[in-house]
Amino acid sequence: MAPTHDPQLLKGVLTLLLLRLLAERESYGYEVVGRLRELGLTDISEGSVYPALARLEREGRVQARLVSSHAGPARKYYRPTAAGTQALTEGTASWLSLAAVVHPVLVRHPPASPTPAKDT
Amino acid sequence: MTSARTLLDRARIERAVWTMDTRLADLPRRSRINKRRELRDNLRLAAADVGAGRAVHQLGDLRTLADDYLAAEYGEHKRRPSWTVAALTILLVEVVMTLLVHVGRSAFHAGITATNPQATGVYRWHGIRYLVSDETFTYTHGAHTSVGGAWTPLVYMIMLGGAVVTGRLWRLNAAWRRQRRRATLSATDNATGGEA
Repeated sequence: MAPTHDPQLLKGVLTLLLLRLLAERESYGYEVVGRLRELGLTDISEGSVYPALARLEREGRVQARLVSSHAGPARKYYRPTAAGTQALTEGTASWLSLAAVVHPVLVRHPPASPTPAKDT
Repeated sequence: MTSARTLLDRARIERAVWTMDTRLADLPRRSRINKRRELRDNLRLAAADVGAGRAVHQLGDLRTLADDYLAAEYGEHKRRPSWTVAALTILLVEVVMTLLVHVGRSAFHAGITATNPQATGVYRWHGIRYLVSDETFTYTHGAHTSVGGAWTPLVYMIMLGGAVVTGRLWRLNAAWRRQRRRATLSATDNATGGEA
């Protein structure tokens, strides 16, 4: 069974993931969701991805273009702008720095019971 | 059977799209249409993969989705413009003014007929200062016709001004500017892509 992910934690890094995926390949909304699921975020809600894309577009971090589709109406493809690429670089550095601190702490083997506090 | 299922699937998708759309009433029209189209397209693609019911289910709560779209457009904590509140303000002014004029006219008419139920002649009601213009009542044996009693321009100014203030409609300006900028960017991008 696939692990579920804390939506609040996911929300914090979703923007970064979207920018990264779009920097790798221009995509439309549903395709991005599919790519996130392939990465292992199987429980991600489409309803959280579409507004996140809209927000990135409003902030000028991605730009959209309509590409005509043989299977229906024109499809909206997103790709990062220069501001988005910069935000991705900064966000990645910030995330890696945080993960470097958090990860070793969380993977440490915990003692059977917490050590008592020292008397002061 | 296939056709019936397709119709049912379409109905499910359209229901989700329009349910969300009703909650996006405060977005600028073009933005609202774009979101509707994009959501419909994404839902159709998802429905082709997993079926319409599951595609709609995967969207999550439609109210949350609409709220997130509004937050994406106007920012998380900013107070948003609201067409609904603006329309309600106009309606409220209209109702109050209609009642006010009705009460004023009725009182004037009652005053005339109280002293003489068979009144004949021309009487002038001075309206409501700043809000309703003068009205002339012509009586013939207690029955009357009237001319005038229109709302002054001030009423319309209150109506429009009130709608702008209560609906925070000035905030739409920023959203419209963004829309235009996006359209320009998109056109430039398409032109560049076309040349390449």
